[in-house]
Amino acid sequence: MTQAAGTGGELRRIVRINEEIKSVVATAFKINLMAMNAIFLAKRAGQAALGFSVLSNELRRFATDLQQQMEVLRQMTHGSVASVTALVKTERLNRVVDRMRSELSGQARAMIERYLRNRQTTSFVLHQEAIATQNRRLSQTIADTAQLVELGSVLARSAKIEAAYGGSFSAALMQVSSDFEHTIAEIHRSLEQLSRHHD
Amino acid sequence: MKTAQVIYENGDHRWLAIVRDPDRPGYLIDTNEYLVSVGEDAILLDPGGSEIFPSVFSALCAEYDPRRISKIFASHQDPDIISSLSMWMEFNPDIKCHISWLWAGFVPHFGGTGDTFIPIPDPGTDIPVGRERLRAIPAHYLHSSGNFNLYDPKAKILFSGDIGAALLPPGDNGLFVENFDRHIVHAEAFHRRWMGSERAKRDWCARVADLDIDMLCPQHGAIYRGAEVRRFIDWFAQLDVGAVKS
Ligand SMILES: [Fe+2]
Ligand SMILES: [Fe+2]
Repeated sequence: MTQAAGTGGELRRIVRINEEIKSVVATAFKINLMAMNAIFLAKRAGQAALGFSVLSNELRRFATDLQQQMEVLRQMTHGSVASVTALVKTERLNRVVDRMRSELSGQARAMIERYLRNRQTTSFVLHQEAIATQNRRLSQTIADTAQLVELGSVLARSAKIEAAYGGSFSAALMQVSSDFEHTIAEIHRSLEQLSRHHD
Repeated sequence: MKTAQVIYENGDHRWLAIVRDPDRPGYLIDTNEYLVSVGEDAILLDPGGSEIFPSVFSALCAEYDPRRISKIFASHQDPDIISSLSMWMEFNPDIKCHISWLWAGFVPHFGGTGDTFIPIPDPGTDIPVGRERLRAIPAHYLHSSGNFNLYDPKAKILFSGDIGAALLPPGDNGLFVENFDRHIVHAEAFHRRWMGSERAKRDWCARVADLDIDMLCPQHGAIYRGAEVRRFIDWFAQLDVGAVKS
């Protein structure tokens, strides 16, 4: 977390990530439907579209994996909200304690100092470390997802090649596979946004 | 984790109920939060205690972009209603909080600045949300001495705060009241003890009986809908309140 953005900025960043997750989930849902249609189309095309049929099934699995991956990301952002909340609370407490320290003297001051040594710095640093760890895990998951989406692009491109062998269904299969390509490109853009929000 | 569920939808006008947190520690009372959104604008009703902020915020994010929330409505001053205010202000310092004038000087102890609070006068007022207007309906002394419900005339939903609240046993997680007789058992002790004034109660019953209400949404427990709304008002009207039973 950057100090300048503050905890409010951190929460707004989590919201932006969540909005992007929602858009990827919606697109993954669309790919799932498209893949189902593609499977039916391949069935009608029969022998000529066997390769296309296999790829459609793979694309459907890709959509499901992507949805699961988004759920993992969503869960991670929940963890981040909890850590940010804990950090804000600690910050507030620290401010009160700081004020007490500057206003008190003698015995009372000594007590505060002892309390501070035991508690304040440790819990504050712990919360910050927790947020940093969560952010690293989030980055890693976004990177993993980018790889998954790369696989999706390869599948879509292969489907396009297979479509050429589709005989009389060739044009229809070609249309379907370029739809796949465009939709997966949308996800690519969302993921780029995601990693930008994240940095 | 809590979940956000759509309880009303008409075009871009929606009510979300944020309910049931199975992970909530047993020593905290379970609460419902509601969000009314109209197009690009939204108001959050009784956002809850600071302990449950992460759960409410995350559940909300899954269904709605919280950056669009411009207002918070607090039915009264209790910690389970509004102690999360400091976190909401951290998220967006421009959010305004509508609350009874009686508490406008007390609640800043939870958060917010001089610019945050918009005091509601005793007779109530209209609160605009997008192109719609919600109505703050007086419910003073039920239980708080400065207390409001919020009525949405288009959706025909009354957010009733602590009125209608039920402390349901664990596992009783239905969103709506399905069996009134069985449900109301869990509401009775709460209303007898928390509702402070017999006269205020009679006034309130008369006031809301005139409203067209499809759903009555309390801050604790299940939502009353359809015929159960009238049943609840009639039940409350005859309940003996404002005295400690010895
Ligand atoms: Fe209360
Ligand atoms: Fe309450």
